[in-house]
Amino acid sequence: MLDALDKNLLRTVADLEGIPKGAYNIRKNGKLLAREVSANINIETNVEGTGIIVTIKPGTVNESVHIPVILSQAGLYDVVYNHFIVGEGSDVTIIAGCGIHCGGLDPEGHAGIHEFHIGRKAKVTYVEKHFATGPGRGKRTLNPTTKIFLAEGSQAEMELTQIGGVDEANRTNEATLGPNSVLLVTERVMTDGDQRAVSKNEIILSGENSRANMISRSVMKGNSKQTFYATMDALAKCFGHIECDAIIIDNGTNETVPALKARHPDAELTHEASIGKIASDQLTKLMSLGLTYDEAVNRIIQGFLR
Amino acid sequence: MRLNMLDIKDLFFSVPDRDASDGGSMRTIINGINFTFEKGKFYTITGPNGSGKTTLAKLIMGINPVTSGEIFFEGKNITDLSITDRARTGISYSFQQPARFKGLTFRDLLAMASGTDEEAKLLALIRRVGICSLSFLDKPVDSKLSGGEIKKIELATTIARNPKLAIYDEPDTGIDLWTIGPMVKLLKRERAEHQTTTVVVSHNRAFLEAADIVLLLNQGRLAYVGNLKGALPMLTDLSICSYKECVSQDDVRCFR
Repeated sequence: MLDALDKNLLRTVADLEGIPKGAYNIRKNGKLLAREVSANINIETNVEGTGIIVTIKPGTVNESVHIPVILSQAGLYDVVYNHFIVGEGSDVTIIAGCGIHCGGLDPEGHAGIHEFHIGRKAKVTYVEKHFATGPGRGKRTLNPTTKIFLAEGSQAEMELTQIGGVDEANRTNEATLGPNSVLLVTERVMTDGDQRAVSKNEIILSGENSRANMISRSVMKGNSKQTFYATMDALAKCFGHIECDAIIIDNGTNETVPALKARHPDAELTHEASIGKIASDQLTKLMSLGLTYDEAVNRIIQGFLR
Repeated sequence: MRLNMLDIKDLFFSVPDRDASDGGSMRTIINGINFTFEKGKFYTITGPNGSGKTTLAKLIMGINPVTSGEIFFEGKNITDLSITDRARTGISYSFQQPARFKGLTFRDLLAMASGTDEEAKLLALIRRVGICSLSFLDKPVDSKLSGGEIKKIELATTIARNPKLAIYDEPDTGIDLWTIGPMVKLLKRERAEHQTTTVVVSHNRAFLEAADIVLLLNQGRLAYVGNLKGALPMLTDLSICSYKECVSQDDVRCFR
């Protein structure tokens, strides 16, 4: 079943101490390790055998589904296509995440392509954490893609986190918002060493009174580099906001490219972006509370990525 | 018995003069200050804009490095100590324009300042400070806070350190009129109950009246040290021109 390494990865990416309660699907090294369905949440392998279909019955509330992926097999690049069909009026939490343990020189990677269809007035909280560890020098790659379709009056809150150890990440997030729907995306990425991370976000506000807020928090340590693209495309009377902040530590670099497209006269779009080192007044304040310089940096970064 | 809390000896602070054409000359901000702050007393430092009040306060906290001179805290030379070490030795500082953070709350700052994250202790601290509502605790200390709110939080984190010496740089900026009275009372109570040596940089009459000793700075020098009554004639005079020496009647700033 689960060995100590698996447990560590699961704890980090899914806050799980072992096998979770409720519906779950645990994938290890490209194969199904364990699955449980509930009365309201069904999980089945898709016809092609390349991923899963999670179907949540209309009206399902306060339930969660865990779908972690763990990798510890050298040389494996695992690709999955997962579908989530969230029934009308339901309120659920989906916890995904990928943990890689790399023990050797061979590369390991995972690409999770997740497509969400969120029914009318349904609410979804989606939490995704990415993490890689291990003594090996093999390249660890994570290329997640998230496509989300929000029906009228639905709401999605997405927390996307890349904690550390990932050498290369190419993330794509796409969303299409129906009338009165709400999308909140918070992306947090920390890179170190020579790591590279690219995040491309395309949010289409197509329904009247739809609202989207995209928040990106990036920390670049060492010689790492992050690139962030975010486009809000407004096709109706709507509200959209992009907030992207990047903190540079050491010799990290960052490119941030927010784009706003108002293709409807009543669209309201805003963005704020900042890139720079930690502000000296913040460091001075925390040092005046008795923290050392390094402690102050850590607390500021911790808060920033929280 | 008089106990020296902080001794300042021959203190100078200079910065490169941006206006100088030769690029090499220095501008002196603090120009030879000698002073002893005694334990448990209340000092208010005042003076015209640009006279060096904030700079002096920052030199004491170690935020600016001294150009020459020495600073002793309880007899120990702290001139070369970092901000962190000065904080740990018992000096606490309230910034005129407090830093704002993305992702840190009042609770986080208060926990760092007091060294505990126990809910009961944090709430007790807020009650002790009195001017912040208990509901402040989980407020993010970010750009959404009003100028008054962040100053109250700043004051609370300063007191939460239980300092031997507390420095408040213009604590009343952005604070509503109804809070200034309670704020003065709070600093007096802290002084009475914890023998906190209190140094306030302020133009506000309320803090000048609260002081045991008023220090009047002008052009980086101590122009007056004593009670408020003695300072009044000079304060009135200095307020005529709060920017620089007025040599010409044509300078409009001299009439502000």
